[in-house]
Amino acid sequence: MVEVVPKLVVDGLTKRFASTEALSRIDTEVKAGEFISIVGPSGCGKTTFLRIVSGLEQATTGEIRLDGAAVTRPGSDRGFVFQQDNLLPWLTIMDNAMIGPEIGGFASPERRRATQALLKLVGLEGFERHYPRQLSGGMRQRVNLARALAIDPEILLMDEPFSALDAQTREIMQTELLRIWEEGRKTVLFVTHQIDEAVFLSDRVFVFARRPGRLQEIIDIDLPRPRPLSIKRTPAFIALVDRIWTLIEHEVRASVMEELA
Amino acid sequence: MTVNLSVATSSDGAGLRASPVLLRPFARLSRVGWSLGSVIGGFALWEIASRFLIANKLFLAAPSQIVMAIVALFERGQLMRHIAASASEFVLGYLAASVAGILIGILLANSTVAKQVLQPWISGLYATPTIALAPLFILWLGIGISSKVVMVVTLVVFPVIINTEAGLRTTPNELVEMVRCFGASRRQVFLRVALPSALPFIFAGLKLGIGRGLIGVVVAELFGSRAGVGQIISQAADAFNMPQLFAGVIILAVAGVGLTAAFGWLEGRLLHWKD
Repeated sequence: MVEVVPKLVVDGLTKRFASTEALSRIDTEVKAGEFISIVGPSGCGKTTFLRIVSGLEQATTGEIRLDGAAVTRPGSDRGFVFQQDNLLPWLTIMDNAMIGPEIGGFASPERRRATQALLKLVGLEGFERHYPRQLSGGMRQRVNLARALAIDPEILLMDEPFSALDAQTREIMQTELLRIWEEGRKTVLFVTHQIDEAVFLSDRVFVFARRPGRLQEIIDIDLPRPRPLSIKRTPAFIALVDRIWTLIEHEVRASVMEELA
Repeated sequence: MTVNLSVATSSDGAGLRASPVLLRPFARLSRVGWSLGSVIGGFALWEIASRFLIANKLFLAAPSQIVMAIVALFERGQLMRHIAASASEFVLGYLAASVAGILIGILLANSTVAKQVLQPWISGLYATPTIALAPLFILWLGIGISSKVVMVVTLVVFPVIINTEAGLRTTPNELVEMVRCFGASRRQVFLRVALPSALPFIFAGLKLGIGRGLIGVVVAELFGSRAGVGQIISQAADAFNMPQLFAGVIILAVAGVGLTAAFGWLEGRLLHWKD
């Protein structure tokens, strides 16, 4: 069972860009080892929220505490998986995966071996000396994930990491992510715009609303684990997707109409 | 599925058949073959023209005469002395300009004030045909090596500055953000992302500098020197010795082609990660 002590505490968090309120007073907690997905219409601040947790953005008021310590800047206790893979084209796959330890100054031989094992875990054994341009989009996202795991973070922050992949690759990557997550049970915050992806992966889904961006509702996903892809066709799964979609449908329509205008 | 495949195959075949029958034997020659043929053919035409059409030694030298002139210079022990003089001028000036250009480029990319102060001078001097300053440098610094080195630096440094700065300014933001996410300092962002991603630009600037540097050496030598390929040319011109004049030009051409090829090889080694 997951521990009772909260891993991450979000305490009265607000974020303002000039005159617009991007995030309005978010209070919540995440337990250690929980897989949390964040869904919501575009402009609901879900990516901003993730960037504040990562330390790339500063909260206007309130704070985020990771293991009791307030987050003020990026650090090696948080691993970020980017929407675009953002691999450095001049480094090998191994060196790309090791960039976190290299920057943090803890790239020991043991760490290299651990990273080697991570590359194997994400299915890239034998590609250590390849360069990013030699890899497919799906493989590059696996490096992106291994790179975040290579610093052995307390929490994994994932910003729509599969959105650039085709539908089939995305489904495979979802099951792969769950398999990898089962290995270490890291705490995960996973931002996505795919509701079925959120339901499939998560213990809980945070549904964000917009104008201002806020945490509207938290949906518990009580589906059993491990979850095979076929679970997506069960009535319980479909009911959960439907429930979340009903929550955000109105706002998604509004945001689509705005983009058209 | 099968139908689609067979259609694709037959259309490919049609594409092959459509190529002009007359050109087909030549298509076997690789691109290198064509280029080599072009060079050999060009020299052959030159040889014929200078022997039969313009058979005037004061006007045009045949390639065979040029080769003889080069051999003669070599046997008199002069060729290596001249080449060594020009080469050391080029190498000193080129290295100094490369180092200075990259450093100034880095300064411009990192300091708005430096950029605002230096940019008008750099843009202005890059656009100016500074080769016209060669006589001035010789007046100031004499006919020795220093005037040539300064000429080379003046010509090479600006494209290196401009390309280094442009390369550093176009650092992909998302890569900077990625390393910042791992806690990278300003220094680490520069060394691990900005500089490597600017390398292709810096190389382009250095490549431009090769041709400009060679021009600088020769033109400065033409205006006054103790030795050098430019001096071979100017002495030959004074004596209406066309084979020797062309010998100087051919040596320069070979140097230019050789340096550019060597540079291309180096670039391929260092930037192999590019597509």
